[in-house]
Amino acid sequence: MIASMTTGTKAAALAVIVGALCLLLEGAAPWLSTYPATWVLPLTDWVGSVVGGFLAVVKPFARLFSDFMSYPMDWAKIGLNAAPWPLLLGIVLALGWRTGGWPMLLMAAIGMALVLVSGYWEQGMNTLALVAVSVPLALLIGAGIGILANEIPRLREPVQMVLDVMQTVPTFAYLTPLLVLFGFGPVVGLVASAIYAAPPMARNVLLGLQRIEPEIKEAAIMAGGTRRQQLFQVELPAAMTQIMVGVNQCLMAALSMVIIAAVIGGFNDIGWEVLLTMRKGWFGQSLMAGMVIVIFAILIDRMSGMLAQERKPQFDRRISWGLVVLGAVIGVATLGKLGNTADYAMLEPVTKQVDAGLTAFTTANAEWLTSFKNNALFYVLLPLRIGLDQAVLPFTWGFMWTPQMSLGLFGLAALLAVGLMASGRVLAGLVVLILFGILETGVSQLPWPFALVAAGGLAWSAGGRKLAILIVALLASILLAGLWERALLSLYLSGVSVFACALIGGLIGLLSAVFPMVWKVVRPICDMLQTIPLFVFLIPILMVFQIGEFSAFLAIIAYAIVPMIRYTRQGLVETPDEMIEGAIASGATKWQMLFHIRAPYAAPTILLGLNQTILYAFAMLVIAALIGTTGLGQSIYLALNQADVGLGLSAGAAMAILAFGADRIVQGFAEGRRRALGL
Amino acid sequence: MSSEKKNAITCQNVWQVFGPDPDQALKAALDQHETADEAAAALRASGHIPAVQDANFQVKEGELFVIMGLSGSGKSTLIRCISHLLHATHGKILIDDENIVSASEKRLIELRRNKLGMVFQHFGLFPHMTVVDNVAYPLRVQGMRKSERLAKAREVIELVGLKGREDYFPRELSGGQRQRVGIARSLVADCSVWFLDEPFSALDPLIRRQLQDEFLQIQEKLKTTIVFITHDINEALKLADRIAIMRDGKVVQIGTPSEIVLNPVDDYVREFSKDVAKGQHAKLHSMMQTGPGLVYGADDPGLRTDMTIDEALARCMSLYEPVPVHGEDGAVVGVVNPAELAAALQVEHS
Repeated sequence: MIASMTTGTKAAALAVIVGALCLLLEGAAPWLSTYPATWVLPLTDWVGSVVGGFLAVVKPFARLFSDFMSYPMDWAKIGLNAAPWPLLLGIVLALGWRTGGWPMLLMAAIGMALVLVSGYWEQGMNTLALVAVSVPLALLIGAGIGILANEIPRLREPVQMVLDVMQTVPTFAYLTPLLVLFGFGPVVGLVASAIYAAPPMARNVLLGLQRIEPEIKEAAIMAGGTRRQQLFQVELPAAMTQIMVGVNQCLMAALSMVIIAAVIGGFNDIGWEVLLTMRKGWFGQSLMAGMVIVIFAILIDRMSGMLAQERKPQFDRRISWGLVVLGAVIGVATLGKLGNTADYAMLEPVTKQVDAGLTAFTTANAEWLTSFKNNALFYVLLPLRIGLDQAVLPFTWGFMWTPQMSLGLFGLAALLAVGLMASGRVLAGLVVLILFGILETGVSQLPWPFALVAAGGLAWSAGGRKLAILIVALLASILLAGLWERALLSLYLSGVSVFACALIGGLIGLLSAVFPMVWKVVRPICDMLQTIPLFVFLIPILMVFQIGEFSAFLAIIAYAIVPMIRYTRQGLVETPDEMIEGAIASGATKWQMLFHIRAPYAAPTILLGLNQTILYAFAMLVIAALIGTTGLGQSIYLALNQADVGLGLSAGAAMAILAFGADRIVQGFAEGRRRALGL
Repeated sequence: MSSEKKNAITCQNVWQVFGPDPDQALKAALDQHETADEAAAALRASGHIPAVQDANFQVKEGELFVIMGLSGSGKSTLIRCISHLLHATHGKILIDDENIVSASEKRLIELRRNKLGMVFQHFGLFPHMTVVDNVAYPLRVQGMRKSERLAKAREVIELVGLKGREDYFPRELSGGQRQRVGIARSLVADCSVWFLDEPFSALDPLIRRQLQDEFLQIQEKLKTTIVFITHDINEALKLADRIAIMRDGKVVQIGTPSEIVLNPVDDYVREFSKDVAKGQHAKLHSMMQTGPGLVYGADDPGLRTDMTIDEALARCMSLYEPVPVHGEDGAVVGVVNPAELAAALQVEHS
């Protein structure tokens, strides 16, 4: 009988057995449910001392580099601040015209006008100065890595792996060692943003070079070009569209990181302004500063995005030059008469009104908001976190959870499971048992042997034995390092958020696929949400729900839901025409087509969306630590404040392991589905 | 084919093997096995793919040599070995008596700049360059001055009939026009050996025929040595001086179009020529008896050696005795029996 079971069923059965044993033996062997502190290896300290020692050696060079980099940074900062704003405005408008004609010009004009009247022009320019120095650095490094990996095939795989890791390690995690290396100050933000922004460039350069038609490369060889001529005259220009995608992503990543890096340095930039006002609870101000960031993000994204278009329309460059000259002339004519840009804050009344309106709104709706928050907390978040046995209290649910209720719960689970198994769905029955078990204990208090077995089993059925071994080993390292409880807390919060994203995002994606009108509304919102730097998500949520886990939960959903919506819609819409025609010819209705044809075909795409959602959730989890979450994010943040390299790196690595594991498992399932569909 | 011409390309025991360790695997297989077939079987058994097995042939100077086979038969791999886009795993490839398999990277670049030209199935045009820049690129890598190379490129563009489109980008051209650009680019550096990898396969039948005709005209003018790849038997028969037929990495037959059509070595080759109207391709000289003491009847329908069988048959349909065949100078060079002509056309049905 065992031989006839599928891998998934075997793994689930094993997980059920281990879980049941853990629960039964809880009293006799407490080490099963909580990993004993005495078994913890001081891995964190080792990492700290090894990396610390290394950093101490590198430090003089780093400081030298820091000194060296401070020149271009100062120049950029002084240049952008000294230049009269009419000139800068003229340049931005010229860029807008050149990349996108009238619509882009108009967008740039409105955006820059808003920045000006927000009173944050100076802070905005300081941020742009950082971006202006870090982006060329990131572009050079990224392009170098991409080209190198293309030229030396043996490097390709390790480079891909390093890039993967760099993208899963949370941003805050490598701020800590950088902080130790470079000391407080804007250079840390610069280096961090260059490191963070280089991988997308490298990835796209490599991808672009590899996607060139082989015959184009062969034609360059047969023309008698040297390798360098082939690369620079043919291959790189032929890959330019893809490389421009890399430039766009690089710019956005740099901007996002520059703002996050404000956490460690008071550099009078716009990220710092958001953080400061947020901490003080001046939400109107912080919204205004956030708006400046969003404007920069949108303008940079749309303008550089135009460069990546296959056939870009040409706009008369004379108009661009005219705009620059006009800006310069006005700038010179009004030199010294423009006054301080901080005094332009014409929107101050608006911020005050926002603050007042917000206070009025929260007081008026306090009851409703609080009950919304508490209901979500008490009935969803808390039980999932610590299990029904601890979450159900007179204070929360109005009654006390008793052991009898636990028995009843398990009885119900057993009944359901037996029913399912009797009808032949063994795997479903086992999964029901596991889910009820998790509901009883809570994600953050799962017995570690069970968690290891369950994760290993999932990995096994998704990607085979090798993946299972890898993931169990990686998780075990978290256990040994003593970060297990925090890791489970992070897993719980991201898990709940991802689950909510999958439900809500899947539904929105489905509606968008079925009704084009819905997509017309949803699409610009998705575009917007994907452009906004992570940091800014926190502001409106904090305004309404204050600091706490629930706000973090909402922030993660707001950020991570986008890929779920996009991929679900795309998967459902992109069914090949012949399949649709085949279904119509068979007489399927619209909904039958959706569920019988489109949904199965879309499954791999939707799984990829889920995968992206998971990665997004982990990325946001760390940022959300700013507004109060427990778990690894908090540890990383604390480590940053205490300049504790060991803790920062270990917690960052643990976070990366969780993200990596989830990523590989979901990818494995998606790959399996794709193969089953012959794609 | 005049035998006094020298060999432009010589392939000797050329192997191209793909797989985990092609060099060692091929060496072992050749050491342990007598024939190429056995060695190839051993390679396959060890997880390698012998894409080209023991290819041996010569291409004469100015000859139009067609390599034909189905997809996956190794013909594209073979042409890439000869043009050294792939480094042959084993064997010698002589171009004008120089072994290019062992040539240095520097020498290869020189060869490509001065001697070799190539046209690709999907054109391989550089998307970021205009037509004239594409065509002038082989001159650019040599460091020729811009005005000079553009002038030269314009000449070749005119030769392929694209005058007026010099400043178009490839994406603005039709498939046929794109391939004209590809042809122009391969010709601009005055190559003496010209490789064409299925140049017309991606085109519509009408455009294809038109380009084939123009290609023959260009060849008439330039008289370069050509290696031409195709999977289309009609194209091969129309263009070729000689045809090599490949199957599963092996060259199974080499011969003139008539030989291929009239004397296929096996069923695979026969299958190819099945749909071909043989009478249109086989020339009379492949059928006639020669030598001293020719005996023929009184009728002389005026057959010439370069007539196709169809044409000849039309003239001697009602004759039963052997008739004389005249050479270019009008002298009788051979004899052919009308009954055999008819029989040759029906060989398929017997």
